[in-house]
Parts: sequence; C-alpha cells; structure tokens
Amino acid sequence: MGYFAESFTELMDADGAWMDMGMYIGAGSSAAGWWTVIAVVMLVGVLVKGNSDEQDHYK
Amino acid sequence: MEDQILALTAEVAAIKGAAEVTNRMFAEAYYYVTIPLMVLIHAGFLLYEMGATRLQNVLSSGVKNLLAFAFTIAAWYLFGWWFYFALPTWPLDFSAGAGYMEISGLEYANAIAWAWGDSAQYMGPNMGDNASGVFWGAFALFAATTASIASGALIERIQTVGFVICAVVLGTAAWGIAAAWGWHADGWLVTEFGYHDFGAAGLVHAVAGFFALGVLLNLGPRVGKFNADGSANHLAGHNMPLTVTGLMLIIVGFFGFLMACIILPGEGWSWYSDRATTIYGTPMTLSALAFNVPLAAAGGIIGAWVMTRDPFWMMSGCLAGIISVASGLDVYFGSTVIAVSILAGIILKPCADWLEGLGIDDAVGCVTVHGTIGLFGVVMLGILGSGVPGLGAFAPEDTVAISLFGQIVGAVVMFLLGFVPGYIVSWIVNKAGMLRIPDAVQERGLDAVKVPAQAYPQGMASPESES
Repeated sequence: MGYFAESFTELMDADGAWMDMGMYIGAGSSAAGWWTVIAVVMLVGVLVKGNSDEQDHYK
Repeated sequence: MEDQILALTAEVAAIKGAAEVTNRMFAEAYYYVTIPLMVLIHAGFLLYEMGATRLQNVLSSGVKNLLAFAFTIAAWYLFGWWFYFALPTWPLDFSAGAGYMEISGLEYANAIAWAWGDSAQYMGPNMGDNASGVFWGAFALFAATTASIASGALIERIQTVGFVICAVVLGTAAWGIAAAWGWHADGWLVTEFGYHDFGAAGLVHAVAGFFALGVLLNLGPRVGKFNADGSANHLAGHNMPLTVTGLMLIIVGFFGFLMACIILPGEGWSWYSDRATTIYGTPMTLSALAFNVPLAAAGGIIGAWVMTRDPFWMMSGCLAGIISVASGLDVYFGSTVIAVSILAGIILKPCADWLEGLGIDDAVGCVTVHGTIGLFGVVMLGILGSGVPGLGAFAPEDTVAISLFGQIVGAVVMFLLGFVPGYIVSWIVNKAGMLRIPDAVQERGLDAVKVPAQAYPQGMASPESES
C-alpha cells in the first residue's frame, strides 16, 4: 500500500505546527474510498449470508 | 517601566510554572487511570475463565487466575522492569546508552529499575518523580495481562504452583524481552527492522498465545476431551453468560490498555511538546483509538457471527478483531479496520478447529485468538503499511520504515519468544511433577480436593461431579 510521507515532518507546516490532514495509510489518495467500498460489501455480504442461514432454520 | 517589566516577567514565570504543574499532574493522572481500567481486563478474565470451567472446577480456575495476576505483578517489580530497560539492544550491544535515545542498557537499568541500592529511589514514593510509578504500574498490568491470557487455555488440569511458575516466566521474562526488543525506541527490532506494534498484537497477544501452546504440548488435554479414535468432545463450561460478560469486560479494559500505549506531550520524557505519540515517537491521537477500537470490535463480532452464530465465539471475535488491527491502530483508516477485523472474525473458528484437530486441548481458544490472530495482525500491517516512518522526532535520518519483511521478522521473533520459553519451562515443571493434575483428581473435581470454599449452594452439582 505504501505511505504518503517519508517523514512525519511532512505533516507539519512551515511554522512547525501539525497540519489538519489525514495521517492514515492511504491518506490523500482514493484508498480511503476503496476501503469503504470493501467494508460495505463485506458487511452486506455477511448480512445476506446470515439471513440465508437463518431462513433455513425456519423451513 | 522597569518595575512593570519585572512584574510581567514574574507573572509569566508564575503562569509557566502553573502550566507545568497542570501538565505534570494531568500526565500522572492519565497513566494512573489506565491502571484500574486494565484491572478490568483481569475482572473479565476471572469471569471468563470461571464461566468456561465446568462446575466442579470453578473455584480452582479462579484461584489460578488470581495468582497469575498477583505473582506477575510482584515479579515485575523485582526483575521484569529491569528486563525492559536492560535488554532493548541486547544481544547486539549490551553497553550503557547503546540506543540513540539513551534510555536503555545495563547501566541505565541498574540505575533505575532494581528495588535495592541507589535505584531504589525510583521504585517507591519520590516527590521529585511523578512518572516512574505510573509507568511501572501500567507496565505491570501489561505483564499481568500477558500472563492471564495464557491462563485460560490451561484450565481444569494444571497444578497451581506449576502454573504460577509458567505465568511469572511469561509475564516478566518473555513479555519483558519482547517489549524491550519491539516496544522501545532503542529496541533492535524497531531500529534495525522498523518493527511496529502499537497495540502489542505481537508483543503481548502472540507471545502469550504461543507460550500457551508450548505449555499445552507438555500439559496434555483434559480427561475426557478426546476419544480413543482422536475425535474431540465439547466440554461445555458451566456458565456461558459469565464467560461472555467477562469477555466484554476485557474489551472495556482494552481501552485502558491501549490508552496506556500513548506517550503524552510536554514532559521531560515526551517525544513532542505539543502532540501525543506512540511508544516509537510517531505522532498519534486518542481520537485514532476512538475511531478504530470500536470499529475493530464490531468487525470481529460480525465476522465471527457469520461463521459460528455462537456468542462465545462472537465475543472471542470481538477480541480477535481488536487484536488483528492492534499493531496499526495509529495509522489505519476506519474502513480498513472494518475489513481487516471482519476477516479476523471469519478465520477465527476454522483456525481453532484446526488446532483441536491436531489433538491440542485449548479450552478457550487462546492460542488462536491471541497467538494466530496476533501474528496475523503484525503481518497485515506489513502488507498494508509498508513505508510508514518507524520512529518519530529525534530519530536518525536512516531510520528504518515499516516493511513487510520487518513485520515478518517481528512475527517470527514473537512466536519464538512465546513458544520456546513456554515449552521449556513447562517441560522442566513437568519433570518436577508440578504440571499436570492426576487424572483421578480431574475426574473427582478440583474444588473438592484443594479449594476450602464452595462456589454454589449444596445441591447444585454438575452431572460430571455426580458421576
């Protein structure tokens, strides 16, 4: 995946103050959005599988 | 004019002094609060283990759990704290100030971490030292947690004193060395390989899980666990609600555990004047934990639910979810945490079943939840987080960044630091006749034989004890 900064000093502005920005893996790229899509797909998939198994108990 | 300047200077000095006192008291209180929060982990382990124990052995499991807590804390005071400061650069370099932070090595540890001689001033009340006690207390609870993790795997057939010896070796030596190497800014795993394990997935969980595996190989299964054809029987604990509630208490305590993994700003021992950091000096916030820990807990429960529908495994999944992302809680994005922790919850039960298929009786799934998932979490950070700078302020320019190779090296070291001491110490204890409770006593019930108290009113007996 990689990281967007080689040093944490890149997260500071010229005055040495911390910038208001994401400092997670994938920050500043589309990675956050893709991870959200993956997470949503997994959650929906779990619910579909869970419901399918539950309905089998009622037959 | 001169008087005004003098008055203003005095006022600024007074304000600065007040701010320093406030910051120092806040830092002391912050770490102090993590200690009772971590005691909740032990309240959880106590309920969890006793609930997972059959009725005739309940109090015996409780005694074992309480003694792991007590002896590990005492041993951490006597020599565990010394291990942590003496060994970060060992065996590469054992000299004083070998690490660039100059807070490690034989001479440094001798000066601050023995409860005798000149260093004793830092091992007790000291009006000029607000830090040593609260840091020691937090680390003592880390040590006790590590020892208690292994405890659950061994219930219903391990002797009390034999177990205490194993717990002390795990909580002080195994974990102390693991923390020195991988959870200290001078640790060689950190400086040479960029090993990163913010929330101790490898350092605490994998070490404890694989220590338990080493002990289990010498201890053997409970009477009645396996049939002659090798198939396994499910030995249900006497109180599932107690077990599940205990697991939830462990989660509550985890918030204190992870809170204690942060280094506050503005003190002499801080990395930055204005920002909290990890123990590696890399910047982070409590907000990162507030996002990621609940998400990881949720993901683990969900993943385990779809595989098992069993509340025991769902709460074990909750633990596994947090452990799976613990190494990178400071740098993971929330959605990443959901995905990784769901995956951890999904693989949990199949991994536990595989272990049981090998003839290993891990009564609570400890090896899988803590050991396997701990290593999974360490390696997963290498896959997802390669390139994250390994150390923060004051680090040399050639500091190694997080890498898949470094995380795999760390995972192997954590496996060995758990499994090898676990196997060796339990082998020795076994040779001394102090490891396994005789089968006849197991069949009769441990509480009736060795605990001078009664868990439940007379007349409440399990089918096993009646038979």
